Amino acid sequence: MSDIDLSEYDSELVSELWSIELDDYIIDLAISPDSNKLVAATVEGSVFLIDNQGDSAQSTLIGQHANGINSVSWRSDGAEFATAGQDGLVKIWDGISGKVLSTLEAGNSWVGKVVYNHHRNILATAAGKHLKLWDEQYEIIYESSDHASTIADVAWSPNGSEIAVAAYGGVTRHKPDQKNSIKKYTWKGSSLAMAWSPDGKYISTGEQDLTVHFWNVKTGEDAQMSGFSSKALELSWSTNGRWLITGGGIDICLWDCSGKGPVGRTPRQYAGHYNKVTQLGFQPDGDLLASTDADSFLFMWDPIKHEKIIGGAKFSAPASSLQWSHEGKLAIGHENGKVRLLEVNSIAEK
Amino acid sequence: MSATSSTIPVTVLTGFLGSGKTTLLNRILSENHGKRIAVIENEFGEIGVDNDLVIGAEEEIFEMNNGCICCTVRGDLIRILSNLLKRRDKFDHIMIETTGMADPGPVAQTFFMDDELREAMSLDGVVTLVDAKHVLLHIDDSDEVKEQIAFADVILLNKVDLVSTTELDQLEARIHAMNSAAKIYRTQDAAIDMDNVLNLGGFDLDRALEVDPKFMEPEYPFEWSGLYALEAGDYRFLLGAGPDPAMNMNFRSAEAASETAMRETVEKAVLVFSDNEVELQTGAVIEPSEQLSQINLEGDQLEYILRVPAAGAYTLFTEHHPDEFEAYITDAQGNRVEASFEREYKPDHEHDEDVTSVGINTQGDLDLDKFQEWLRVLLAEQGADIFRMKGILSFSNSEKRYVFQGVHMLFDGRSDRPWREGERNNSLIFIGRNLDREALNAGFNSCLT
Repeated sequence: MSDIDLSEYDSELVSELWSIELDDYIIDLAISPDSNKLVAATVEGSVFLIDNQGDSAQSTLIGQHANGINSVSWRSDGAEFATAGQDGLVKIWDGISGKVLSTLEAGNSWVGKVVYNHHRNILATAAGKHLKLWDEQYEIIYESSDHASTIADVAWSPNGSEIAVAAYGGVTRHKPDQKNSIKKYTWKGSSLAMAWSPDGKYISTGEQDLTVHFWNVKTGEDAQMSGFSSKALELSWSTNGRWLITGGGIDICLWDCSGKGPVGRTPRQYAGHYNKVTQLGFQPDGDLLASTDADSFLFMWDPIKHEKIIGGAKFSAPASSLQWSHEGKLAIGHENGKVRLLEVNSIAEK
Repeated sequence: MSATSSTIPVTVLTGFLGSGKTTLLNRILSENHGKRIAVIENEFGEIGVDNDLVIGAEEEIFEMNNGCICCTVRGDLIRILSNLLKRRDKFDHIMIETTGMADPGPVAQTFFMDDELREAMSLDGVVTLVDAKHVLLHIDDSDEVKEQIAFADVILLNKVDLVSTTELDQLEARIHAMNSAAKIYRTQDAAIDMDNVLNLGGFDLDRALEVDPKFMEPEYPFEWSGLYALEAGDYRFLLGAGPDPAMNMNFRSAEAASETAMRETVEKAVLVFSDNEVELQTGAVIEPSEQLSQINLEGDQLEYILRVPAAGAYTLFTEHHPDEFEAYITDAQGNRVEASFEREYKPDHEHDEDVTSVGINTQGDLDLDKFQEWLRVLLAEQGADIFRMKGILSFSNSEKRYVFQGVHMLFDGRSDRPWREGERNNSLIFIGRNLDREALNAGFNSCLT
């Protein structure tokens, strides 16, 4: 039985390709670069490899992390993927067979993040205060514990030459090839989520104190935006790097970072959700935006053009993870363990 | 922090290393059959776990960049608890064990400051374990011990088997003076009925404010009492020179020669000590009565006669400790008579606490605007020194009770049930450092309509 209700929206923008049911809260979800596979990780630690067959899917439980999982990442060639556990381990899995290839000690029981570099096969792992960078053979090529708290998020620069770390005390930039090149954007607060703009100009962070910061990468200048009703952990850049979309409450905000940047500009606001936004994602190489909320709604927007909802759906549970594929399909993982893939049809020009 | 039924209760366990936290935690885990409890602890102790989850946490204190100097939260708890919430239907209760040296402030504030946790969890109570034998080594110089006592909703005076009843009485009086709102239990091996430490309902202030009618006066007007079994006749109360020129005292009969009987006379004696005193000079006769006698103590050899009308139990209350005047009682033959039971009420003078409780209990209705302004200024100026506050207030524009609690500069309140007939009243308590009782009372009273 389907648990997706598309009836409230006339638009034929969104249709469901398939959905499957896993047993637990989907804490993270990642689509392989060729879109043939998905990895879904549950909050209690199960790893599922999902075979995307177009209009249907098959899932296989391939392994576990004791105590839970925090993060999943595919290597850019799709041959391998990594999972970060609350057991102090990072596991490397074969992208086809789902077999464990390596198990890495990340340095602290809480492994918060794993992220592959898209330009070189380097894996970044963040566990407690420890950042480690691993080469293709999973040898450590760089490490640093120069962070004031457990690392909350990491992000590679768009050209892959640097990695930024968000923690208490601000953002720290590391260059894997240069040992003593740490740059700090210091501030007295706790950065929880981070996104590097695709044009490389800004590092945006969502903060414990309900602000969003824009760090100008070149000058180190900090622009602080307040007015959020909850922590803005949802940050998504448009592919051209001009627009940042933020959650942090019921309303969605769109920040224009062109020219002199977001300072002094009023963000555009999008009202439509009646409960907290849980996930946000800009379509890659497109202008569409998908947003989900705690009432289990999905809304589709064309935010640069106008403030209207152009499509949507109601699910049986709120979305806990959301990812666009390269081809513009939308994968959603839910709090109740559902995973689905949606087709987003192109909108007719009017 | 709305205490709706869907919020998960959180109990914070504090206390110095060796005070018995792990023992209590093990009891909670083993005696709470059928409940799934998640435990967050700083030091991995020896904890028996079957279907419970134990998570290690490293204390990470985040200052909040909002101009509020004491607003700190525990980043590690936010991270771990947010993750636990995703598994929420599987946990009935969360226990957070802090390190011995931890400041409970950031832990408590976390549940006020973080929007996600504030919605989903409620601080059920702060339970502080005190090692009855060793706490005296730390209590004077350790801010941590003072803060752990000040933040507590429940205090377990543990290891009572290692100290005398007199020492326990002194310690309890001292702790009570610091935090008059906390319920104090004496325990051995942290053995306690779970109902006394779990599911207290952090917001159920009736309990906190009504449990101890004496909380308004944590300091007794006398320092010592002794219960004597006496025959009819005259006894001599002999005193030497001491630090004060005069001292108030009350000599009264008791129901029986038991410790309980002495305790029962305490409330009455408190009332007597608020009366006008009758000045007496050396040699005067004092009979058992409701009279507050002020005995002159100028001179080296002083003597007052205690006239006992019939054999029975009698209690003597003195403003200062008799030892300060080398005081004692003899019978007509000159034989020294010792008290069957003694109790000290106030710690020695050098123990004047910097951490105290100030209770306010006033009839009348508050003006909402005036009260908010008063509290705003008070917290802005003294929030760092106010560890906790709790209250039930009567606002002139509302038929409902307003209940609130706060931690430092943060506070949270809501309308509660309607007032019952004749019940309207304001009672609140501040627990903190360097509190000015008179100023707090005057400020509060100025908000009444």
